[in-house]
Amino acid sequence: MNSFRVFDLLLRFRTLISFVLVVAVWQFVASLGLVPEKYFPGIPAIASGFWAMLKSGELFNAEWRTLTRALVGLAGASALGIGLAILSDISPTFRRGFAPVAALIQPIPPAALVPMAVFMLGLGPKLYTFIIILVTVWPPYFNGVAALASVSDVQIRSGQMLGLSRWEILWRIKLPAAMPEIFAGVRYASTISLLAVVVAEMLAGHDGLGFLLIRKAFAIRIPEVYTLMFVCALNGVVMNAMVNALRWQMTGWHIRMTGQPA
Amino acid sequence: MKRAPFNETMSGLIVPIAILLAWQALAWRAATPLFPGPWQVAVSIWKLYPQIFGQIGYTLMRAAIGFLVAAALMIPLGILLGRLKTVGAIVEPIMDMLATLPPPAVVPIVMLFAGTGDMAKIVVIAYAAAVPLIMNTYEASKGVHPMTNLVARSLRLSRLETMLHIDLPSSLPMIATGLRLAVASALLVSVTAEMLLATNGIGVFIQRQQENFQIAGGLAAIAFISVLGLIINNLVFQLEKRWLFWHYRASETHNNG
Repeated sequence: MNSFRVFDLLLRFRTLISFVLVVAVWQFVASLGLVPEKYFPGIPAIASGFWAMLKSGELFNAEWRTLTRALVGLAGASALGIGLAILSDISPTFRRGFAPVAALIQPIPPAALVPMAVFMLGLGPKLYTFIIILVTVWPPYFNGVAALASVSDVQIRSGQMLGLSRWEILWRIKLPAAMPEIFAGVRYASTISLLAVVVAEMLAGHDGLGFLLIRKAFAIRIPEVYTLMFVCALNGVVMNAMVNALRWQMTGWHIRMTGQPA
Repeated sequence: MKRAPFNETMSGLIVPIAILLAWQALAWRAATPLFPGPWQVAVSIWKLYPQIFGQIGYTLMRAAIGFLVAAALMIPLGILLGRLKTVGAIVEPIMDMLATLPPPAVVPIVMLFAGTGDMAKIVVIAYAAAVPLIMNTYEASKGVHPMTNLVARSLRLSRLETMLHIDLPSSLPMIATGLRLAVASALLVSVTAEMLLATNGIGVFIQRQQENFQIAGGLAAIAFISVLGLIINNLVFQLEKRWLFWHYRASETHNNG
């Protein structure tokens, strides 16, 4: 019983434990001196780099821009993806026609698009929006199409029996039933949107985390580079938490019913 | 394979053709070489395809090596972590954290240690492919049914045998999903890595085209990447279906029942 409690405690604080563990191992490796300290600074150096960037406002500025871009892009792309999925559900012609288009655009890496898009859209917010939406729209779209198509017949027939119109069936039965799977797509999309923003900033930006990463790397300010990487990863955690909160709001019934997220 | 009726095929063509026409119309209106239409892109594909083929070869080779390295390391590691529950529980937050770190963000650090050669790119690609692989493998092997464990014990299997004969096969469906994601992300990141650590490959080709204001050429290269990505993703999916037929058959009957 006692050992069980210890394990329980361990599980509850495991994020903290693993964080401390990483910091400790990092410091240990750094102090071993196997790798030149310039390339692999200890924790104090990284912390002071973090503090310096925080004090100058540089970090907050870049973080704010990157996170806003990623979130706005994710919201736009999710709305567009769900819209396209609904359109595909209504019109089989559109679905058949759009499927090959989607299959062709989907594997294009964001990095390949940046240099071409710069000429057409300039370096402003239009570029970021275009890149993010073009890469991020697919997971919500594919999941949406699959989920809308697989809504159980029984549910749709019940709707028809209650005298609902086609629109009401779509809006009140099919869409809510598809939401859990759509959200799985949105969650995956949130990771990609962050990636797309950072890549776009690295290749064509003049602000944001990606740009700062490249600039610090070329200035060989290594502790700052590690700090920025850490902040990038933290962004992912933040976005994940936001998507999860929204999912709980919208599809909480599903999670409560099945006891596990879709 | 059911053959689609002629009418359906035709109606399926409406949307792509409309998109192409709209693009061409926009290009005509813009009337600048910086915004080429599909026709100019087609011409560039015809002119540049030998060059593009050569460059894409480098890219594919590196993507394949990076992917294989990641698969060889991460699948066994994932199964091991799923088996050692305590270690797994502690490592899990670290994996979650790494999963949210965009692969291009590791480029500057990799550059310090491995320079800008093939090695550096392979490391970045392997990192990108490793994340979905280890996450999926770990999740799957963590969730292996406890009953199978008891069976293994009553058969007196050793730890290694249990992992090999029980954990691995029962995790395979999820590992396959991880593999599919990993292939896609290896391709994606290989182009990115080339653009940031330029030597050769299709990413560099695109950058050269940009520097010479040959937008149509760049779009031609992108078209190649997209077709290639489509073919590879489909291939992986087909292989998955063929090797995991037992899983799909079982889940189909389960759904019907």
